[in-house]
Amino acid sequence: MRTLRRVALYAGLTLAALTFIYPFLWMAATTLKPPFEVGTLALIPERPTLDNYRTMWARAPFGRALLNSALVATTITAAVLVLGSMTAYAMARLRFRGRPVLQAVTLGVLLVPGQLTLIPLYTLIVQLGWIDTYAALVVPYLLNATAILMLRQFFVQIPQSLIDSARMDGMGELRILFTIFWPLAKPALAIVAIFTFMGSWNEVLWPLLVVRDQRLMTLPQLLTVFALGGGAGSMGVSLASAMVLVVPVVVAYVFLQRYFIESMAGAGIKG
Amino acid sequence: MPPVSFQHVSKRFGGATVVDDFDLEIADGELLVLVGGSGSGKSTILRMLAGLESVTAGTIRIGERDVTALPPRQRDVAMVFQDYALYPHMTVRENLSLGLRLRRMPRQEIDRRVGWAAATLALEPLLGRKPKQLSGGQQQRVAMGRAMVREPAVFLFDEPLSNLDAALRAQMRIEIGSLQRRLKTTAVYVTHDQVEAMTLGDRIVVLANTRIQQVGRPIEIYRAPVNRFVAGFIGTPPMNFLEGRLHDDGGGPVFVADGARVKLLRARIAAGSSQPVTLGVRPEDLRLDIATPGAGEDSADALAGRVVLVERLGGTSHVHFDAGQHRLIASVTHDPVPNVGDAVTVQVPAERAHLFGADGRALA
Repeated sequence: MRTLRRVALYAGLTLAALTFIYPFLWMAATTLKPPFEVGTLALIPERPTLDNYRTMWARAPFGRALLNSALVATTITAAVLVLGSMTAYAMARLRFRGRPVLQAVTLGVLLVPGQLTLIPLYTLIVQLGWIDTYAALVVPYLLNATAILMLRQFFVQIPQSLIDSARMDGMGELRILFTIFWPLAKPALAIVAIFTFMGSWNEVLWPLLVVRDQRLMTLPQLLTVFALGGGAGSMGVSLASAMVLVVPVVVAYVFLQRYFIESMAGAGIKG
Repeated sequence: MPPVSFQHVSKRFGGATVVDDFDLEIADGELLVLVGGSGSGKSTILRMLAGLESVTAGTIRIGERDVTALPPRQRDVAMVFQDYALYPHMTVRENLSLGLRLRRMPRQEIDRRVGWAAATLALEPLLGRKPKQLSGGQQQRVAMGRAMVREPAVFLFDEPLSNLDAALRAQMRIEIGSLQRRLKTTAVYVTHDQVEAMTLGDRIVVLANTRIQQVGRPIEIYRAPVNRFVAGFIGTPPMNFLEGRLHDDGGGPVFVADGARVKLLRARIAAGSSQPVTLGVRPEDLRLDIATPGAGEDSADALAGRVVLVERLGGTSHVHFDAGQHRLIASVTHDPVPNVGDAVTVQVPAERAHLFGADGRALA
């Protein structure tokens, strides 16, 4: 009875998993199919070809876009981690005038939808003369209220005595943050990193506003322009460009996944 | 090594005074214990000495140096924390050596000190482990070792034994005491446990309500508490107190309370009579006898009581009894130990009686 229920459970779960993964696998497979095979639901191309990728690569600067995206997303993620954890540390652990106001404002920022600030931000970028620069893509995202609050939440739980002890050992605040808090906050930092990276990697709207030069376009932006603008010409080529977009994210996730699994218990202080 | 001095140190958080005019010199190589209940300010004093808390008023000196405004790392002090505060992601060796590495000490010297501390504290087999993999007692030793390798001018202990179970606590108490005597490093030890205070301290500072109540060698504080708070705080079981009045009927001063008369030594009583006073007497100083009907009941300096509870600890028994409206405790080491419900007579030896005035101060 018990085995039966187990079998049923696994069958159900497998079915659900397949439902989710099938479209993705189909997309991956279809990029390798010649045009006359695209209409089929098969997962294995009968005559595999890399033509779709070749065509895509030839028609638009996807290599450059990939590099742009990597540069922008990495810069933003690094900045959010470094600057965000510094802000979070100050909020969580230092006593200074205006701290409650700072916290309230940070929380308030979360309540403002991004679309609302889009126009003023755009105007600002225009006036700074940053249109068609990397600065326009990167600078507005260097700090992130969600990241700050998440890290702050983690940092307040680290025992005060660890900070005291580090100060007695001769550390300054930055050193405490990066040599004591960072190793203990790995799971939180990993989550922030993944969300920030993915958010930045997938961002389309903002780059469309501030970048018109094809050489500065990020991958999703170029993809949008390319696929929607009819540059792809065929479904296979469209999907190939989508693959190029998605693979780095999957790789990044696989690379960082173990931090999700590493339990918070590792950060505990007592045995 | 330099002594420590606090000169009229106060600490206020907002409007609340936490430490009020703390003024004290700590001698070279001394182990000074700060003892008091929660809110007495003992931990704040330690943290001010460590540099972890700012000083509102007054001066702290370590040796010749005024350290009042210096950050912790420039004070040449090392601290052992209640929860040990070991860095969870570092091995024992890394925990021990971190403070030295940050001070850019030569590698050889670091290795020598870590080796010495590990040997002294029996940590050698554990150097490669992480704190999580250690027992409470072992973590405690690592915390001690981390303070030792610094070879500081002053050791600071912030309730280091509170997280250990009773047996380990007794053992670590002995280890800390013997280690400190061996190293002869000046140490300040904060605890709420008066047994730790009595057994470890060269001197004890009893704190209550943000102020020093009494400073002295443990036995002085035990024998001659300056006020009722100290008398009640130091000693287990605590001192018995009886509320009453002083009378002098010509035959010498007598303490009179509800159902009790205790003759006192003339020399210890200031002139004046019929003032309200509190008589204090330690449980082991009471002489308790099982009452024999018809005898000694109106003996001049005996209390009559009835036993309500007996705690037998083996060698000693704590006999709780009611005398008039007072609930008292006597420590009895001899047989026969009375049973619950027995009538007892209790003698208060005049030379062991403590008297406290209405303001709580001891009457000399």
